[in-house]
Amino acid sequence: MSSNLRTQLINTPFIRDYGMIFVLLVLAGLFSVLTIKQQHPTGEAAGRQVADFIISRKGHQARVLIVTRNTGDDLAFAEGVATSLKHLGATVLDNVNGTASDAKRAIDVILASGGEIDAIAANDVTAKWPVYDRYPEVGSGKCIVPSSYAWPDFLKISNLLGVANQTAIYAMIAIGMTMVIITGGIDLSVGSLVALSSVCTAIMIRDGCGGVEAGIGVVIVAALAGVCICALAGAFNGFMITAFQVPPFIVTLSMMMMASGLSYRLSSGRSIPELPTSFFWVGRGRAAGIPNPILLMFFLYIVAHIVMSRTVFGRYVYAIGGNADAARLSGVPVKRILMWVYTICGALAGLGGIVLTSQLSAGDPKFGLMYELEVIAAVVVGGTSLMGGRGKIFGTLIGAFIIAVIKNGMNLKDVDPFNQKIVLGAVLMLAVLFDTLKRRNSRE
Amino acid sequence: MVRLSAAFLLALSFAVAGCGDSNGKNTPQGAQKAKEAVKSKGTIGYSALTLTNPFFKVIADNMKFEAEKHGYDLIVVSAERDVKTQADQVNEFIVKGVAAIVLNPCDPQSIGPAIAKANKAGIPVFTNDLKYDGNEGEVVCHVGTENYNGGRLAGEAMVKLLSGTGGKVAIIHFPQAESCQLRVKGFLEIVNAHNTRSQGDKIEIVATLDGGGARDEGFKAAKDAIEAHPDLAAIFAINDPSGLGARSALESVSKQDQVTIIAFDGQLIGKQAIRDGKILCDPIQFPDRIGRSTVEQILKHFNGDEVPREILIPSELYYKADADKDPELNETGIDKKL
Repeated sequence: MSSNLRTQLINTPFIRDYGMIFVLLVLAGLFSVLTIKQQHPTGEAAGRQVADFIISRKGHQARVLIVTRNTGDDLAFAEGVATSLKHLGATVLDNVNGTASDAKRAIDVILASGGEIDAIAANDVTAKWPVYDRYPEVGSGKCIVPSSYAWPDFLKISNLLGVANQTAIYAMIAIGMTMVIITGGIDLSVGSLVALSSVCTAIMIRDGCGGVEAGIGVVIVAALAGVCICALAGAFNGFMITAFQVPPFIVTLSMMMMASGLSYRLSSGRSIPELPTSFFWVGRGRAAGIPNPILLMFFLYIVAHIVMSRTVFGRYVYAIGGNADAARLSGVPVKRILMWVYTICGALAGLGGIVLTSQLSAGDPKFGLMYELEVIAAVVVGGTSLMGGRGKIFGTLIGAFIIAVIKNGMNLKDVDPFNQKIVLGAVLMLAVLFDTLKRRNSRE
Repeated sequence: MVRLSAAFLLALSFAVAGCGDSNGKNTPQGAQKAKEAVKSKGTIGYSALTLTNPFFKVIADNMKFEAEKHGYDLIVVSAERDVKTQADQVNEFIVKGVAAIVLNPCDPQSIGPAIAKANKAGIPVFTNDLKYDGNEGEVVCHVGTENYNGGRLAGEAMVKLLSGTGGKVAIIHFPQAESCQLRVKGFLEIVNAHNTRSQGDKIEIVATLDGGGARDEGFKAAKDAIEAHPDLAAIFAINDPSGLGARSALESVSKQDQVTIIAFDGQLIGKQAIRDGKILCDPIQFPDRIGRSTVEQILKHFNGDEVPREILIPSELYYKADADKDPELNETGIDKKL
């Protein structure tokens, strides 16, 4: 009875299609536990806390030097210390916001004028600077820092947004790849198309639109043109596959080499940094605190999910992957659908190239190296079968995140780069194993 | 299947915990953590261009040695020449709250936003070997080899080799790297100067091919060069791996006695090849000094001293005679290295 129940559970559509989401959650939990570390707060509240510490240890007459770096959080911290100390009656000798050499100059000035330092209000970073130990009358023992608390590095907001942001480009391209793989094909050219759209767009902006001074209108046109070039390359892939029955592996392998060669040729092998700041909005801007690439990624996934699950086009894509001959005989326009699928895949790779160019602020023929493998891995880990006919768009998103979380977690844990490759290879192997077992289960 | 996925996750967690252990950090929690809080002055994050070239491994090892001597930890990651990977790694360094970041920029321009982001988080950025060329974000100090002068040294060695006879020379280049462009520029300057004053012993550069800075691509490039120019007299390769690839190509067509190779770097593999007569000579770099000097600059920066914007370490020519008395190359030395 219980095993019967379990079989039923495993076979419910949600578990079958999105079982990997549990793997993702367990991984997130695992890395949260593994990366727990002492965190050192900075900011205004931490500043007030330090001011209280100083008063309780050194009294109300304390003469205090504040040392922070010149960052937003650190300045708020310094502000918090300074106002709080003044309020409590202590003396602020100087408020240094910069590097260790700025701190050294400030200490020199104080000591030269015969001043004395009772305490140094610092944060975790500035307290570790060895500069204070140069002066016997100061010493790093006088640093007073906010109290720390334990929290996983993995669960910091900046890290979670970082992981999503890093994955966004792979995940976008993986939408097109999922469609291609569901039809039973493969597209190896996406990595090179990322480079091609990056280089083409950057060159158009530099040579045709005035480079750094280019207006927002022409920048949008150039970006769209970059995407269109890649869509055309995708359409060419589709044409060769449907018109001449050349295997997709070979067609897209050729396209991969041609597109890469072309982008190196067009750019003479160099990166092209002459881009206007308006262009950086796509890759580096934020809306409601969330980086634009993440929002763009979710938008594309929702659209793609609707297309694949609610439209005739989506049904046809699955039908072709299930059995192309049967699909053709039941009236599916196989060639036209395949053309569209490869075109979409090319266009999304082009879009990925635009976002990457914007993120890294230069067009570069070296972009996109090995992305085809990253993307195919995300699709496979997400549960799409390489044999075609099966797979879910959101499964791919989960697959992309599983890979990204494993990479991020290993980096946060300082796992040796060579070992990381071994682990990622093993993950891919297991994902394919799952696929095979699932297929066998469902046949039984 | 459920059981299988559980087993997989268990295995992964062991793998990760185990790998962390082997690095000897963080994992033995509790006792060591308390000690660490007092002892460690912070962590330095190093994103290498690639760790498949031993040159960067030497830099990493020496940085680690020097950093640990002064109470800092060093984390080494490899960007494998992909600038996006490197930007992501910088992001993770920021999340971890490292004290300083060291990079071999994968691209002299596109790494800019990542450097600016680190600056904004208050983390000083240093580069070594490869230089950052953009204007977004600020690098405190660059430590590298005098590549231009090194290239001139290679040119002088080539002129010495071919003076009186002249001959055809191929260059195995890696044009993406600015450092290699400088080497070739210096090399060509000396060779051209020789040609303007030469009497019938002109050195003719017949081919400049991309050897990717790697053994396999250097092999192919050299093979093509020797096919197109069977009477080639010498090859200048911009680093040891591509020089050794060129040597294998010459051996495969039995032309190793006709064509002399001058390479660059002075890695252990290169020095061994010079000792065995496979490469004539190298202008050598000092990755150990580059690594140590980088950490010294970081320490100076934290100590409140002014740090120069750029430190260039001069290169020296290294022939078989130098190899014969190099302690690094006597048998036990090699065993230890390997």
